[in-house]
Amino acid sequence: MNETPRWASESFWKKTAIWVTAGSFLILIVLTFDTLSKTSAGSTRVPDYTVINQKIDYRFDEKLNKFMPIIGGEELLFDKKYTAEEAEQLVTLGKKTTQAKNCMNCHTLLGNGAYYAPDLTKAWLDQGWISRDMREDMMLKFLMDPENNARTFGSGRKMPNLNITEAEARGVIAFLKWMSSIDTNGFPHNFTSIESEEE
Amino acid sequence: MFFSSALIILAGACYALLFAWSKVNSKRFIKLLAHLSYFVLVIAVVELTQAANFSGYWLLVSIIMVIGYFFAPISIWHLCVKTHDDHTITTRGGD
Amino acid sequence: MSSNESSAVLTNPSALWHKACTAVNRFKAWVALDGGNLSPGQTLAVKYFCVAVVLFFAQLLFGLLAALQFIFPGFLYEFLDFSVNRMVHINAMVVWMLYGFIGCIYWLLEDESGTEIVGLKWGNLAFLILTAAVALVVLVYILVQIGSGTDSSLWFINEGREYIEAPRWADIGIVAVMLVFAYNVVATFNKGKWSGIAGVLTLDLVALAGLYVAGMFYMTNITHEQYWWWWVIHLWVEATWEVLVGVIMAWSLMKLLGVRRKIVQTWLYIEVALMFGSGILGLGHHYFWIGTPEYWLTIGGFFSALEPIPLVAMVVHAVYDAGAHAFKNSNHPALAWIIAHAFGNFFGAGVWGFMHTLPQINLYTHGTQWSASHGHLAFFGAYATINIAFFYLAIQHWRGGVWMAGDSQNAWRWKWALGLLNAGVLGMTIALLIAGYEQSFIERAVEGSTWGGYFSAQNHPSFQNAMVWRLIWGLVTFAGLGLLIWDLLTIGKGETRKAQVIEPH
Repeated sequence: MNETPRWASESFWKKTAIWVTAGSFLILIVLTFDTLSKTSAGSTRVPDYTVINQKIDYRFDEKLNKFMPIIGGEELLFDKKYTAEEAEQLVTLGKKTTQAKNCMNCHTLLGNGAYYAPDLTKAWLDQGWISRDMREDMMLKFLMDPENNARTFGSGRKMPNLNITEAEARGVIAFLKWMSSIDTNGFPHNFTSIESEEE
Repeated sequence: MFFSSALIILAGACYALLFAWSKVNSKRFIKLLAHLSYFVLVIAVVELTQAANFSGYWLLVSIIMVIGYFFAPISIWHLCVKTHDDHTITTRGGD
Repeated sequence: MSSNESSAVLTNPSALWHKACTAVNRFKAWVALDGGNLSPGQTLAVKYFCVAVVLFFAQLLFGLLAALQFIFPGFLYEFLDFSVNRMVHINAMVVWMLYGFIGCIYWLLEDESGTEIVGLKWGNLAFLILTAAVALVVLVYILVQIGSGTDSSLWFINEGREYIEAPRWADIGIVAVMLVFAYNVVATFNKGKWSGIAGVLTLDLVALAGLYVAGMFYMTNITHEQYWWWWVIHLWVEATWEVLVGVIMAWSLMKLLGVRRKIVQTWLYIEVALMFGSGILGLGHHYFWIGTPEYWLTIGGFFSALEPIPLVAMVVHAVYDAGAHAFKNSNHPALAWIIAHAFGNFFGAGVWGFMHTLPQINLYTHGTQWSASHGHLAFFGAYATINIAFFYLAIQHWRGGVWMAGDSQNAWRWKWALGLLNAGVLGMTIALLIAGYEQSFIERAVEGSTWGGYFSAQNHPSFQNAMVWRLIWGLVTFAGLGLLIWDLLTIGKGETRKAQVIEPH
């Protein structure tokens, strides 16, 4: 019988395993640096937190052949213009609230989470809030007392009361508004936003 | 669309299985079945390519799947044979 | 308080303690296992296995509660909400599988290194700390559930990030315990002898502990947060865990089937190359829609197409082995579960994974029950099965190495447990697949993922029926687990025939 050829030997595959792992990991590190810089708050893909002072929409872009967020002119949240610092503070409070209340184990955020309640990626733009004028008030009431302002869409599933304070609720709404402005490569597809209803 | 991609993997596995079997047991029809499942795989890839509107780079992925899944079982078989090869020449050893 | 009452209070706890002790002793007498059959490392390993089985039970129990809530939304409303049940369901799963893996490693460590475990005391202490911490975390999950939107909630109650919800203090504890574990492994191999398996294992454990750190930071920018979150989840489940299973399998193949070390190690390296080669950048398939650049669509799509290659390799190799050698085996339940592992891994990770991994498809399936369907079959097929196989190996040894076969007394129990568990999980997977298909059709394609679209998909009869079927198959799975536990406690009890000793060939 002939000897084991090099390409079937243990030492060859040991080296291959090391090189493949190290190489893949190195590529991942390089891509990570690139991705993090391209998606920092204030980049074109992930807008600055002050975007909560502006109008946001989500529409199909014929040229890019996918849905894209559209950042419009001024549209204040709670009738207040937030400075960069205030906006970041508010969104941070909202983000921490979504984690402390365990939102992700019923809802999905950017499509990740549990599937018992609707996706929050474009919740700010959802037609469920009926009109732009009613939206903020409805969201605030819903978050603070979901049981009595339940939006079950006939499913019988009600969000439980999570003891969300008014300040936290405002934070969550700011966080949702900011999140809806992120360029998510066209997810979700086919979405009709609250804005398209108003025209 | 989902099912054509599922079919790719299933047909790919069938092909790999039957190919390996035809090496162990050299019956004509097993080899024929192996090629048949590869044929199914190609159809599934074509189906997926059309359903998902692949173009440009994505066509390359389809081509890689068609070629890659054909050769992968063959080369892995060779690897199996060669890595187990020396066992006939070395005396009982190891731990 | 009169003296009478106080003495009653004083005697009562001791009476209770006494009762508990008798119950434990009676249970021990019934199980009739002889600890003398185990080495010190194996004794530690079976402790991990016991907790793993308890957590497996908790996983299924809370899974059933969550499944019930899909059908009866008012069930346990504002008492144990879906979010709580679902969190305990997936956390118990992650933790029991980790316990299983740690147990397997302690089981093989002495044999593989040829010496006794260096820091056995530390290992035992780490086990106690970890188990106490897990118990405390679960109690806080169930009793406290949520906090205010402050850092202290994230530190002490719940981090609110799927799969790694454990509060920050527990994160630090987990890393500390993993470091003790890694130290034990490294120091033991250092004292005894190193091998290819030992090297792969050590590097994999370092990666496992290191990656967990990536998930321990708060970030307001959700794109960055989910980016690192997937580092932990994906690189654990689809890379380091797979290699850990590879190590355990490699050792088992030598011991169970007598395959020679050189072949096993060569194939372990081949597997590492294929797994890490396709798996590390396969991370891209989680970066399609979270705000990350478009090149991830290309990378994720390409490496996802590569990910089935390691599975194809396993199929070919299995046939080669079956054709080339006629293996003898003296633990039929373990072998049956390893076969279940091969199929489950292939269908769960391979077929179900690839079905919805290309971005053109994933645009419609992302965030639907498709993921739940894939998750159920893949976690069970790839990881639960291999752990159960090892439980059987451990119990065989614990019983003093008796013969365990298809024709043994009460063999129906392991056969039925195997059948019920596999059928149950497969049934749930198919029910969830139907639900996911309906969701991507009605919610995603037709109604465009609005809240209205989401609920019209949820209210659809085909979705509702699927949820009922999921519950039914969940109950089948639960019955299977009950039978499995009974069988693990009793198998080989009356058996006197010794198992054959497997020689390397």
